Amino acid sequence: MNREFFEWAKQELDPSKIFLKPEALKGVRVLELCTLIFGPVVPDWLSEFGAEVIKVELPGMGDTMRYVTPYGFFWKNISPAFQEQNHNKYHVGLDVRTPKGKELFIELAKKCDVVVENLRAGTMDKWGIGYRQLREVNPGIIYLANNGFGQWGPFAHGRPSYDAIAQSVSGLMTISGFPGRMPLKSGVWIGDFTGGCMSTVAVLAALYYRERTGKGQFIEFSQGENLIRWLDWTWVYVHLTGKDRPQAGNRDLAICPSDLFECKDGYIAITAFTEDEFRGLCEAMEKPELADDPRFKEPLERLKDENAKELLAIIREWAKDKTVKEIDELGAEYGFAASPVLDAKDQYYSEHWWSRGAVVEVDDPIYGKLVEWGSAPKMSETPGRHKWGARPVGIDNEHVFVRILGLSEEEVKALEEEGTIGKWGDRVGAKPPEDWDGKTGLFYP
Amino acid sequence: MTDVKQLPWEEWIKERDNPQDAWRKPEAMDDVVVIDASYGNYAGLFASSILAEFGAFTIKIEPPGGDIARKMTPYGMLVKDTGLAYLVEGRNKYHITLNLNTEEGREIFKELASYADVVIETARPGEFDAMGIGYRQLKELNPKLIYCAIHTYGQFGPEAEKNWKKPDYDLIDQARSGIMAITGEPDDPDVPDEVKVPTREGNWMGWYSGGCWAAFGIITALIWRMKSGKGQFIDVAPPEAEAKFCDYHIQWYHQSGKLRGRVGAYDSAVFPYTFVRTKDGVCFISGFSDVNWAHLCKIMENPELKDKFPTIFDRLNPENQPKIHHAIEEWSQNLTSKELEEKVMKANLAPDAVGVVATAKVNRPSETLEEEHWWVRGTFQKVKDPYYGEFVVQAPAANKMTETPARLKWPLRPVGADNLFVYKKFLGYGPSVLKKLKEKGVI
Repeated sequence: MNREFFEWAKQELDPSKIFLKPEALKGVRVLELCTLIFGPVVPDWLSEFGAEVIKVELPGMGDTMRYVTPYGFFWKNISPAFQEQNHNKYHVGLDVRTPKGKELFIELAKKCDVVVENLRAGTMDKWGIGYRQLREVNPGIIYLANNGFGQWGPFAHGRPSYDAIAQSVSGLMTISGFPGRMPLKSGVWIGDFTGGCMSTVAVLAALYYRERTGKGQFIEFSQGENLIRWLDWTWVYVHLTGKDRPQAGNRDLAICPSDLFECKDGYIAITAFTEDEFRGLCEAMEKPELADDPRFKEPLERLKDENAKELLAIIREWAKDKTVKEIDELGAEYGFAASPVLDAKDQYYSEHWWSRGAVVEVDDPIYGKLVEWGSAPKMSETPGRHKWGARPVGIDNEHVFVRILGLSEEEVKALEEEGTIGKWGDRVGAKPPEDWDGKTGLFYP
Repeated sequence: MTDVKQLPWEEWIKERDNPQDAWRKPEAMDDVVVIDASYGNYAGLFASSILAEFGAFTIKIEPPGGDIARKMTPYGMLVKDTGLAYLVEGRNKYHITLNLNTEEGREIFKELASYADVVIETARPGEFDAMGIGYRQLKELNPKLIYCAIHTYGQFGPEAEKNWKKPDYDLIDQARSGIMAITGEPDDPDVPDEVKVPTREGNWMGWYSGGCWAAFGIITALIWRMKSGKGQFIDVAPPEAEAKFCDYHIQWYHQSGKLRGRVGAYDSAVFPYTFVRTKDGVCFISGFSDVNWAHLCKIMENPELKDKFPTIFDRLNPENQPKIHHAIEEWSQNLTSKELEEKVMKANLAPDAVGVVATAKVNRPSETLEEEHWWVRGTFQKVKDPYYGEFVVQAPAANKMTETPARLKWPLRPVGADNLFVYKKFLGYGPSVLKKLKEKGVI
């Protein structure tokens, strides 16, 4: 183990130096007209790397996600489920369905590099603010449309879509969970987030292409299609065998041994596949002869169903008399993969996650101390960062309309009076904390 | 192309982003050279697949015996010499062999890396550095290089140092992401013990999350390099990548001290948002806001149910969820999945409808594969490889873009199939040199 390498990597990626380093997407401005998750998450992740984001919500109520919360829990009048994909944005309350509102949206779009929306197919076009209208006033615009089933095709109309719909239609639910049990829904809205990740990557590719050529473009993403892409060997298996991919619990049908095992005091995930890793595991189990057993020696032999089941049973028998810590440490000693299952509490208190900036504290101007995920790719020159968290509806109207769009304060007031723009309604989820003094955390004035 | 004002949106956009025409259009990243030096790792492979789908010239390096990733296959199934997972992620890559355990192999790697824009590796942290081919060494020869290392514990941190000997695998990545802890059947008395456990997603969700975020970091770095001329080092830990998908679990823990637990078919934030048995299968059904819940109860012709659980807070009460679930199943079990879908769609489109219920049949993969919609959309692609034959794989997800759609050009290559082309093109090695290198075990 080269300690010096770890010291070097830590220096290169030191989370405490993040704010001293440049931002890769500096100068990129994103206009967002999205609700829920598979929409807002795209500008959110772009904002971590320096993009400036203007999030447009309906005055009064705002984004529906503000009212989705675990067991009705709100913290200082905001929903944690809303916070997860709304950082570093300017929150604007604007009704684009009014003639003045539509005009303002177009003016904002002229000053942006990227537009992201997740409305039903054809809605933006019907409202006169879709791709074919916006590219007339901003030819270089990169426009991303995210929804359940895409902009065209047999399922494009009449089918509302949520994350679990994507999980259902893609087959993910029927290949997850234990054999003989009902299909398994993910514990999280995995379709929304994975689709969001991939569509953000597509926007980045479009930004890269625009750096090369000056050209913008339209991109559409379907949540269902994206999950289909992520289902690894499923499709080729079904096509070649004519059989459905079965549920297998925690066992990996394509890597052996790989499964979750019960110990005296909890569960441990173990995987070993190469010769060295497998031999290491066998030695750790004090059964070195297994590594030369003809059933298990060759990975392809080991993967055969009967052999895999026998091997996993042997490991299960061994693991049940050990503690999680013992096996975790044996993995580190003998060179096979092993780990306990981490929950939010483990991550929240993990020295490792904090030291890497994977979990970060954000000192929010309105909400105080937040704890959030840091950026996923840790970059040495242009690390990602959070500046602030989610904010009440329309709180940044003045900042955006005066300082970005250049309207006067009187014009902004008039727009507010006629209902074209607006702030939060008197509802928990939309409004600031009860003890807000009316000015702390405002960016302008 | 027809005029803006004449065509309905759907037709207009289909003309312009249909994946059928992708091959005629430019590629976003065809000025980028990527070296995929991953080994036995689908996070690395998915990352390079994404870049290759966008047109990057991607060189996959395998040891002379081949990447063990070719052996990661269900039940050990092979097509010729390669497993099923690799048939999916070998796409658009030039396959060469190179033995990094030899001095000469490492020298050749350095030469190739001096031409590359991106290097991806998935070795134990510090392993490439110890071989003299890590970021620190390569950037001396190629200051603009973007180097992405992918590993479970990352490249630094107390657990990276403690666990440096462990390899990176999907199950461990899922276990550490936080998602596995809240996925699975709940601690109910009528659930058998063996299944009341943290449960992984059936696919390689950990690895694919890591690969996607690695591609994110790499393209961001390429954008920065255009502006600044600088390369950089990128550290991606797949558990941290997948944790970004954890809904609100870290925020809620910080704010309330509460953990979500496994909820199975139930949900802590939206209900009903669940699946129910039908006469011939399973359907997902959702109507969680007050308006949509009322609409669902109307469809089920069960107004009493609406009044029994009128607010979202009633419906989030863990004691009420099984009752609501049961009531919906009493209705759904009398319909086939298709009948249920049709009934709901009809009600959604009714002129007096207030509210919307979302529903979908829970598909087995074979059912999805047969659905016309995905084929029309170009989600699946039938490929015909000269060596591996004909089979179906999933097409790139980003294949509907008007200017630079992602595309799959070839599915994979046999081990070392592109040695002659790549070594000649980049290093000038002809057949006699390659023959000597092969004899020495360098390629």
